[in-house]
Amino acid sequence: MEGTNLSRRALLQAIAAAIAGTAVPIGWAEAAAAMEQAHAVSHNGSDATISLLTAAEAADVEAVAAQIVPSDDLPGAREAGVVYFIDRALATFFSQLAVDYRAQLAAFQSAYRERYPAAKSFAALTSEQQIEYLKTVDETPFFNTTRLLTLLGMFTLPAYGGNRDGVGWKLIGFEDRHVFHPPFGYYDRDYPGFLADPDKTK
Amino acid sequence: MSAQTYRDSDIVDFVIVGSGAAGGVVARELAQAGLTVVVMEQGPKFNPRTYTHDELRDWYLGGITNDVVKNPQTFRDDEAKNAELQKFKPALWYGRVVGGGSLHYTANFWRFREIDFNERSVLGAIAGTGFADWPIAYADLEPYYTKVEWEIGVSGLAGVNPFDPPRSKPYPMPPLPVKSSGVLFERGARKLGWHPVPAPMAINSVAYRGRAACVHCGFCHGFACEVRAKASSAFTVIPEAEATGRCEVRTESYVFRIETDRQGRATGVSYYDRDRKEHFQRARAVVVSANGAETPRLLLMSASPQFPNGLANSSGLVGKYLMFNGNSRALGVFEHELNEFKSVQVTRILHDFYDSDPKRGCYGGGGLDARMGPQPTTWAIRTATEGPSWGREFKERLKEFPRSMQVATHSTSLAVESNNVTLDPELKDAWGLPALRVTYKDHPDDLAITRFLQDRGAEILEAAGALRVTRAPVTPQTSSVHLLGTCRMGNDPKTSVIDKYHRCHDVPNLFLCDGSSLVTSGRGQPTMTIQALAFRAGEHIANFAKRGEI
Repeated sequence: MEGTNLSRRALLQAIAAAIAGTAVPIGWAEAAAAMEQAHAVSHNGSDATISLLTAAEAADVEAVAAQIVPSDDLPGAREAGVVYFIDRALATFFSQLAVDYRAQLAAFQSAYRERYPAAKSFAALTSEQQIEYLKTVDETPFFNTTRLLTLLGMFTLPAYGGNRDGVGWKLIGFEDRHVFHPPFGYYDRDYPGFLADPDKTK
Repeated sequence: MSAQTYRDSDIVDFVIVGSGAAGGVVARELAQAGLTVVVMEQGPKFNPRTYTHDELRDWYLGGITNDVVKNPQTFRDDEAKNAELQKFKPALWYGRVVGGGSLHYTANFWRFREIDFNERSVLGAIAGTGFADWPIAYADLEPYYTKVEWEIGVSGLAGVNPFDPPRSKPYPMPPLPVKSSGVLFERGARKLGWHPVPAPMAINSVAYRGRAACVHCGFCHGFACEVRAKASSAFTVIPEAEATGRCEVRTESYVFRIETDRQGRATGVSYYDRDRKEHFQRARAVVVSANGAETPRLLLMSASPQFPNGLANSSGLVGKYLMFNGNSRALGVFEHELNEFKSVQVTRILHDFYDSDPKRGCYGGGGLDARMGPQPTTWAIRTATEGPSWGREFKERLKEFPRSMQVATHSTSLAVESNNVTLDPELKDAWGLPALRVTYKDHPDDLAITRFLQDRGAEILEAAGALRVTRAPVTPQTSSVHLLGTCRMGNDPKTSVIDKYHRCHDVPNLFLCDGSSLVTSGRGQPTMTIQALAFRAGEHIANFAKRGEI
């Protein structure tokens, strides 16, 4: 599966299939090819394909990312498209990390299979099971790197494939503007000006 | 583009290696004194017109700095260990662009004080360290600090900091507008009886010397300033040097060796151009201002049968006594929005704990400031180290971004010989040159004073009414942008690399001027002092040249 282009919708289908406990459907490459053009249009040039990670890897990475910044009434890592950022990063600008990271991911996958032998994938576990399991591995290199990549993908420029529509910035209240004027916040509104204490200075 | 260009075969008066905080200043001083200069810069010219605010590129992909792929480094915390390749961020981080570190710095421009130059005499020796006095005093440097403030451009308010050293002139620009972090810092510190003052910043509060006033975009720390309000050598001294018609800035030119003749004098520099073609630029003298990492590396790479341990290294101290400055942060979350992502990093500072005090049980001192900290991505990554690090609680913490600030601490690093820069015996960079190997472990006193200052920072936030105060873990540093002390200045050739005029003891026509020249670390904001040293060095070197004393 490595090197296969995988559209976002196809990935979601894979995740859905995995969660439903069915076998991942065959024909990924075909599905991807069919979807790719539509996505190139719908995302207006953003790289919404998985190209380096396998479908199973991408599904698990997205599931971990979605527990790091979960979705609730506000978007989380999933809506920000973090897995697309991570895939692209490992394939291109962080390629020096890819070999180590995928080895860590493989170790993570075999470890949870020992804990949940019946599970098709980490992504197929219930959210509660995922959280319970991640609590036991949240100081491993795999988790640390996934968190780092998740946060990079959540809050950097949308042009890199994550932070879709600026949802990361909206979540934390960052304004993407070039010019600001004082007052900047609540506490500097009525500042009277700097007054040195005459007793303490000369 | 530089108006003036020289050929490799032209014997120019000076080659200067590096166009940053120091190299830019020295270039201007020499060119304005009538001397011909070629400045060699590893990186490209910076183009403000195409610059975007891109946190990933400039913080994680070496956009305007060295990067881990092209310029790999290894790191270890003990000389007995094997140094490991740094795959994600460099151990020593520096600007690799015209302007060097002065392009991406935060622009805190504190002067050093008298004590920073003679602290060894005042306090006595510290066992196991190379703690030493400088061969110059604050008074020697004062006129040049003033020159930095007026010719580079510093905003501030003179006469209000009771701990300031004597100064001959006020600041040329008023302080930048206070931010909510500054107001809260001032409120908290005053409740505790301390002395917060407006921060001196090399950022224009008003239009100054042909450059615009700050537009408060919030992208200073680790970024370039496309409106040129933040004073970088790229916008100040470099264009002034070029305007003389005697200075060429040769970009994407990577100097890998200083060549010497039989008399042991420098004859010029060998470098790779952007196509990795090798050249030799001839010069009557060489100034290396390549930063505290690359300056010693270049000297070590310039070893020859005549200089087997590296050029100008009879003392054995080239690359030794690396100092980072201690730093830490206390985080405060408040009820209302501060919106610290707007405007400059720092608007208030405090120097009440600058001096070392034996009652604290450790050597050291430092300053505190009120600041925003990094922009969203790095802020989020750091937040994960300071409490819940994933899941719903972590997401709630992320939402506190606009209501958060930090008090950052900046403090002394002791000079320790086993903290150093060497050539990695195996790893090569993308040009096939030996990679930097960094060995560093904070002295226990450096960590102790850092924790002491962090506690004071937390007290300020509590006194200011923070809803929650946390302390980022204080752990030994493995990475820094302050690269200090690796070719120290001194009167004795056995215990220093350069003399008090920045001339190498061993090579009469080779000068070093940058963070490597520092004997002590100061209290955490070195660029102001590096530039004051550069103005002083430039003046002396120009005089030597005119008097035929090179």
